[in-house]
Amino acid sequence: MLRESLMIALLTILGTAYSLVSGLAPLPWAEPALAAGEIRLEDARVLDVIWVDARSESEFTAGHAPDALFYDQADPAGSMAGILEQWLQGPRPIVVYCTDEGCGTSKKIAGELRVNVPDAEIYSLKGGWSAWLE
Amino acid sequence: MVGIDAKRFFGLIARLVLASVFISAALPKLKDPVAFAAAIEAYRTLSGSWAMAAATVLPWLELIIAVGLLTPWLRRASAGIMALLLVLFIALHLSAWARGLNIDCGCFGASASSPDYHWLVLRNLALLILSIFIWRIALRNKYAPTRTL
Repeated sequence: MLRESLMIALLTILGTAYSLVSGLAPLPWAEPALAAGEIRLEDARVLDVIWVDARSESEFTAGHAPDALFYDQADPAGSMAGILEQWLQGPRPIVVYCTDEGCGTSKKIAGELRVNVPDAEIYSLKGGWSAWLE
Repeated sequence: MVGIDAKRFFGLIARLVLASVFISAALPKLKDPVAFAAAIEAYRTLSGSWAMAAATVLPWLELIIAVGLLTPWLRRASAGIMALLLVLFIALHLSAWARGLNIDCGCFGASASSPDYHWLVLRNLALLILSIFIWRIALRNKYAPTRTL
C-alpha cells in the first residue's frame, strides 16, 4: 500500500511539473506580465477608483484598501447591488482585488461585474492585497 | 461461484463509474487551473497561492487515481486515496452549505451554476461507498491465501 501510494505521489508530482513547465499553470515564482483586464497598484492609485475586496471577511476586517467595498460571496447579488450603487453615485473605474498574485477570485468577480455593469471600467488588481503590503 | 462473479462484475462496473467520473472531473481543471483556483477560493478555506497550488496538484491526483483504479497494482491505494478525497469534498460541501455560500462547486472545473448541496453531498456519498467497496475488495484480494492445486 505504501509503495502504491508513493508511486501515485510520484506520478502526481510529475504531472504537476508538466503543468508548470508547459505553462498550463502559472509558476509560483514567475512574474507574469500584465494580463488583459489587470491593473498595477501604482496605476490604480493615480485613478480615483472604487476598491472591491474579494477576500474573506476576516481578512477584510484585518485590513483593506481605503473605502473598499467588501464583496460577500455568500450574497453576490447584494454585493453587486452595493457596487452598482457606489458606481452610480460617481462613475469611476472599479478595481477588484483578492489575496495575492495566485488568486483568481478578483478576475472572476471582475468578469461578473463587466456583465452586470457594462458601462463601467473594471480591472482586477495585479498582485492582489500582497501588492498593497509591499 | 455465481456470487463471486457477481461481485467481480459489480466491482468492475464500480471502477469504471468512478474512473470516468474522476477523469471527467480532472480534465477541465487541468486545462484551466486558474479558473479552478477561483472555485477553490470561493470555499474560503484556501486563498491566493495555496489555492493555485491545490488547483495545480489536485486535478493530476484525480486523474492518476482514476487511471490507478483500472490498474491492478495501483488499485488499493487509488481507491483509498479516492475515498479520502471524497470525504474531504463532502466536508467542504457541508461547510459551504452551513455557511450559506452560493458558489460554483468547481467539481468539474469552473461553471457559473449555483450548487445544489443536497445533490452534491448525495452524489459524493454514493461515490464514497463505491470507492470503499473497491478498496475492501482490493485489500481482500491482496491478503487472500494463494490457492494451490
